[in-house]
This record gives sequence, structure tokens and C-alpha cells, in this order.
Amino acid sequence: MLNPLRSEEEAFRFLLYAIAVIVVIAGLIVLLRAIF
Amino acid sequence: MEAASVAHAAEHHGPPPANRSSRVEPQLLGMLLFIISEVMVFGAFFTAYFFIRVAQGDPWPAPGTHLPVEVAGVNTAILVSSSFTVHWAQTAIKHGNRFGLKAGILTTFLLGCTFLFIQINEYANIGFAPQDAAQQTIFYSLTGLHGAHVFIGLLLLLFVTIRSFRGHYSPEEHRGVEVPGIYWHFVDIMWLIVYSTVYIL
Repeated sequence: MLNPLRSEEEAFRFLLYAIAVIVVIAGLIVLLRAIF
Repeated sequence: MEAASVAHAAEHHGPPPANRSSRVEPQLLGMLLFIISEVMVFGAFFTAYFFIRVAQGDPWPAPGTHLPVEVAGVNTAILVSSSFTVHWAQTAIKHGNRFGLKAGILTTFLLGCTFLFIQINEYANIGFAPQDAAQQTIFYSLTGLHGAHVFIGLLLLLFVTIRSFRGHYSPEEHRGVEVPGIYWHFVDIMWLIVYSTVYIL
């Protein structure tokens, strides 16, 4: 299991996942706001 | 043979040695506890932010004010890039590439300084003060709290940069690069959350 506090490599991988999740959530909210 | 079996037993089985509170390395355990406490500190500030926006229903940003989304977006790109360069430095020293370590760490430090410089410049030109309204207070609190973390990260990176140029660290011993690297990624993730909630949403 991914543990971002175990090593720098895992922290970096966690950062990449976090970027993806934040971009998707922010994008969805901005899109929904533009529609409604 | 006997020494090897004792070492194996100590490494894999039973409780930690009497002078250790955990089987996790002390440096990593310290950073782990520190980051968990930091998440709680940021959580308190985000609670105030969401209270103002959701529970109280105040407009965001406050009427008559404008947040520099584009400038902060460029700053976000700079900070994300710095996480890539610190990862480059860490990977380089793992493979014995000293040039990669020095170049990666120095670039990370300079990118971090650029981020902080742009943020201070943003404060100077944003046109409102922390005491003007609750929204401005929480804007300065959240971005300022993060800025303080960047400053601490820069101090750590400065030490790592100086030690790198003095020939410290090796493929076997690079904990001094790894722990600040984990902290730097944490600072980066926190900024992504701050930027998306404060500037975009």
C-alpha cells in the first residue's frame, strides 16, 4: 500500500495522484458551475 | 554465523530495541509525526475558511476584491516543478550521480525562492489588508501559513544544498535528502489544496 511518509519516492507518487484528483475535482466543479 | 542470525533476529522479529520507541527509523518517525500535526494545523485554518463560505454563506472573494488567479497559477506551476526537481535530486544520489543531486537540489531551492518572492509581491499588490474583512483574514492566514512552510522548507533545502556541494550524501546514505524531500512534497500538496479552494473554487 502507498505510504507517502515512508520514502521520498512514495511521497512523489502520492503527489502525482493528488494532482490528478485535485485537477479532476476542481475541473468538475468549475464545469458544473458554468452549466448551472 | 551466530552474529548474522542475531542481526537477522533483531531486524525482523520482536519488539524494537530498548532505546527505540518504534521500529520505524527515528528520522522518518519524526517527519511522520510532524506532518500529521501539520495536517491538523492546516485543517483548523480550512475549517475557518469553509465556515465563512459554507456555514455563514459569505461571498468569496469579498465584494470589490479580486484574487490574482493567473499569477497564483504560474506560482503553482513553479512549486509543482520544484517537486519534480527534488525527486530528480533524490533519484540521482540513489544512483551515485552527484551532478544530478547538486543541480536538482539547487534548482529546487531557487524555484522555492521564486515562489516565495512572487507570493510576497502578490501581497504587496493585492489591494486589501488582513483586517479588512473575514474573507481577507482567512486568505492571508491560509496563504501565509503555507508561505511559512515554504520558508521552513527552503531552510532545509539550503542545508541540503550546502551539504551536497561539500560532498555529503552517497547512494548508501542519503536520508538527509529524503526527509526534506518528503516535507517538500507535503508543502506542494498543501499548496495545491490551498490554490484550488482559495483561488479557483
